[in-house]
Amino acid sequence: MTHECDVCIIGGGITAAMLSEKLSELRPGLKIIVVEAGERIFDFEDRMQHRQRNLDYGENAWPGDFIDDQAAQGIISRTMAVGGSALHWGGVTNRFSVEDLTLHSRYGLATDWPIPWSDLEKHYCEAERRLGVSGEPSPLADDRMSSPYPMRAMPLSYNLRVLKAWADKSGIPFWSTPQAKNTRPYGGRSQCMRCNTCEICPTGARYSPDFTFKQLLAGNKIELHDRTLVRRLVTGADGKRVVSAQAVSRAGNGDPVEYRARTFVVASGYCWSSHLLLLSASPQFPNGLANRSGLVGRYMTGHAFIGAQIELDATLYPGMNEQHSLISRQFFRCAPSTPYVRHDLRVWESSAGRDPRLKNANGTVLLGDALMADWRSRTVRGAARVRAYYDVHPARDSALTLDPAHRNRYGDPLPVIHHVLDDATKARAAATREHIVGVFNQLARAQNGRVFGVNEGHYLDHPSGGCRMGTDPAASVVDSHGRAHDHENLFVVGSPTLPTGGCTNATLTFVALTLRSAAAIAS
Amino acid sequence: MNSVSRRRALKTLGAAAAGGALSPPLQAAGERLQPGRQDAISSDALLPIAEAVLPGEIGVDGWRDATTAFVRWIRNYKEGADTDHGYGNTRIRSTGPSPARNYPAQLADLDEAARAKGAGRFADAPIDVRRRIIEAALIAAKVERLPSRPTGAHIASDLMGHYFNSPAAEDRCYHAAIGRDSCRGLPGSDQRPAPLSGSRQR
Repeated sequence: MTHECDVCIIGGGITAAMLSEKLSELRPGLKIIVVEAGERIFDFEDRMQHRQRNLDYGENAWPGDFIDDQAAQGIISRTMAVGGSALHWGGVTNRFSVEDLTLHSRYGLATDWPIPWSDLEKHYCEAERRLGVSGEPSPLADDRMSSPYPMRAMPLSYNLRVLKAWADKSGIPFWSTPQAKNTRPYGGRSQCMRCNTCEICPTGARYSPDFTFKQLLAGNKIELHDRTLVRRLVTGADGKRVVSAQAVSRAGNGDPVEYRARTFVVASGYCWSSHLLLLSASPQFPNGLANRSGLVGRYMTGHAFIGAQIELDATLYPGMNEQHSLISRQFFRCAPSTPYVRHDLRVWESSAGRDPRLKNANGTVLLGDALMADWRSRTVRGAARVRAYYDVHPARDSALTLDPAHRNRYGDPLPVIHHVLDDATKARAAATREHIVGVFNQLARAQNGRVFGVNEGHYLDHPSGGCRMGTDPAASVVDSHGRAHDHENLFVVGSPTLPTGGCTNATLTFVALTLRSAAAIAS
Repeated sequence: MNSVSRRRALKTLGAAAAGGALSPPLQAAGERLQPGRQDAISSDALLPIAEAVLPGEIGVDGWRDATTAFVRWIRNYKEGADTDHGYGNTRIRSTGPSPARNYPAQLADLDEAARAKGAGRFADAPIDVRRRIIEAALIAAKVERLPSRPTGAHIASDLMGHYFNSPAAEDRCYHAAIGRDSCRGLPGSDQRPAPLSGSRQR
């Protein structure tokens, strides 16, 4: 079967949702088809039940949100469904800072982004409006916003109020972390009920792309072809334009499906976007599409993290709301004259060290009243979880490659991701750790606290890269609007285009970049 | 439990109660521990274990609530259901066999241990003996920590884990109506949780 459209968007996650929504506004009547390999899970009415099964039994709260044989080594989430990873996300919508866009010119590190901060900032505001962000403005002058958050901040729970009073004593300012969660009815969705299970929000208060897709479908703005796996992009004879996307229907008997479009947009996330371009190799393009630079699948990035627990003198009641946190952007900036370290800083309530246990420190089995007494004795002081996402920069060899030893049912080699940090990042690793643990200790000292359970992430969170943007076709895959340097009607949007992964959650950033791309795609 | 077993159990339980082996509230428990099929395990039958391993302060009503919730969990367990595939170390997994498959043999072992100590069966034994039997059983089963969910390692630790990890137990520990896992709404969520009725604020 062949489908024809104006814009074919490959991938059905948050970037596809935002892009198709904006395209349908910019160009009413544009025929847009969104093609997603996974299923549509439009079961809002069942989510309270799924939530309960998840709490009680650990069952997947999003049944059917993965494809058995579409796996990648090095991937951090198996979610593959309409809505993508943003079905599960916590809704945190922090902005990057101007330093992220000017790493090379400011610090001599990594690379600069090909857009000015003022341009990105404008699209941050749009992203916050479309996603529905509730937030409290940063007290730091450098974090100035040109438009306020569309909703007032999520109120701090009792525990967070206590923790903020403690954390502020350290001299580090903290405030409510912005989130795409409704503090009032917004976007056709309800106000947050603080169910404490944001990964499966039963009320719809946390933004999820399925809502956008349902609204677009109800308005006949798009077609959504789920359970359809795109396997190849094919160019015309001159190689300048992509003429079709070759797919296979997972709904039927594996029937081939072809999409012909004026514009193709790859919106398949940090893993599957590069994968598709590499899979699209042909005699004309033996290294895959959009890959004259050899950089498709290169500079895979994200941010590293260090976490810890802090025990302190405070009466806390764990379980009120572990999802919401305090944030500080105090360390987003780093004077060029000082050793480079940039990170965010978050604080959550915690029950670490305060859970019921079967054996005490001496190994004695505790039953009944003895167990309860032991538990109570360990709850006199409170605990906080702290974490810093810190800025690391990828080496060219930080790569996604095709693994011929692992193939899906159609015989396509599956991806393997291997993150490699550049030499400068490696050289400052010990100093970065020392600085961050020092900040944790600074917090602890503010209220007779004790840091324990320091742990370092073993993967890069909020992964991105693989199709990095830039002005130089020899050093990047796409331009600042996501247009492939090599093919005039091929765009890549979302997380793959980030040259560097910043030091805080990246979703808002790649949504903003996608919204910025929409005008170029529409034209 | 078939009718013959039920009559025998009632007779035995009555005799045990008359002999004072069970705490008075448990004398109402009309069933014995049944080392048979997993779906034959009733909440009342677990009361002799509950009394031994759950806090005394929740009383017989609390033990009954805990065992009822535990049995409901067991009955609603689905084998082979997809579980969370996680973030970071993502992996597709599914739930395994029901932990309750192991319970009949474990219950039989508890009875056997009680007989070795001179009691007719586990439910007949005084509470301190039941505790010693359970402690020995947990050590033998190499149970080191409370399971976050029943695992089948031992029915006693599974019951304990199910109760002590519950929102109700947390409220009891903190003497406060924290209400973990409830949808509490935004208004008032900035306030300290109310004390449990009959409890002092921490």
